[in-house]
Amino acid sequence: MANAYCQCWPAEGTIESPVALLYNTFVEPVDWSDVAASVQGDDEAYGRLVRRYEKPITSLLWRFTRDPVQCEELVQQVFVEAYFSLKTYRGDAPLLHWLRKIATRTGYRFWREKAKGPQETSLPEFDVLEEIEAVEEDRIDPAEAATVLHTLLSRLSPDDRLVLTLLYFEECGTKEIAERMGWSRAKVKTQALRARRKMKEIAEREHLLERLGWTL
Amino acid sequence: MDALEGLVRLARKAREEPTPVFGVAEAVRLRILSEDQSPESVTLIPLGLFGGLSALAASVTLALAVQFWSYMTSPIMELVAPLPEIRLW
Repeated sequence: MANAYCQCWPAEGTIESPVALLYNTFVEPVDWSDVAASVQGDDEAYGRLVRRYEKPITSLLWRFTRDPVQCEELVQQVFVEAYFSLKTYRGDAPLLHWLRKIATRTGYRFWREKAKGPQETSLPEFDVLEEIEAVEEDRIDPAEAATVLHTLLSRLSPDDRLVLTLLYFEECGTKEIAERMGWSRAKVKTQALRARRKMKEIAEREHLLERLGWTL
Repeated sequence: MDALEGLVRLARKAREEPTPVFGVAEAVRLRILSEDQSPESVTLIPLGLFGGLSALAASVTLALAVQFWSYMTSPIMELVAPLPEIRLW
């Protein structure tokens, strides 16, 4: 199967290398062929990649903003950046991992830029908690739960927020967060510890559990 | 229940939220095309050349500084030493 692909891969030592394909166990052959074609300037191939991975990337970036317009802009940014970095993709991890890394960094940059500007008033935003009645976990609307969590996390600094977002929303481990951000694992662990402490303070100050009726 | 445990439960529920679908493929293609066609930024002096020139300038400055330093070490000698280039009589 792999040899069939090797026929059309010209240069050795680059992404088109048949050697890379033969020894690659991470990347789907269909991704490899589309990546190689995209590097050669095939728009259609890159369009296929975008359509294939748009959903998980949108899902990740939805954790960074709940504004659909901003989210769409971020998704576009990720795929444009990925296109121009495609030559550097070595295939030592699945393409989706590589795209998620770009998306996480794009989202983080977005938060940092936002943090430089005037801060949003958080109290009206926080009123969303008032709308939630004491209900069982199963009966909470997922969108409402996401909005509450997003609102709470938005009170943290971008670094703290990123670590907790990836831990809570994306269920990433500290190793994965470190890899995505290029941080050391020790930094992620320390950041997570600090962020959890702050998050707990905020949740207690806002009487989150009482409002949700989860005090039992 | 701990507040953090409450957050974990919220997150578990939040993960069930359906994600919006945008269909960005065409917009991405257009952005890539427009960025591809934009004039390339002017490359200023390459870093290697800039570094080389800086090193050369630093060497010349150091050589001159060493010479002047040797004069400065004994200014009295400078007063009594004859100036070789100027004939005094």
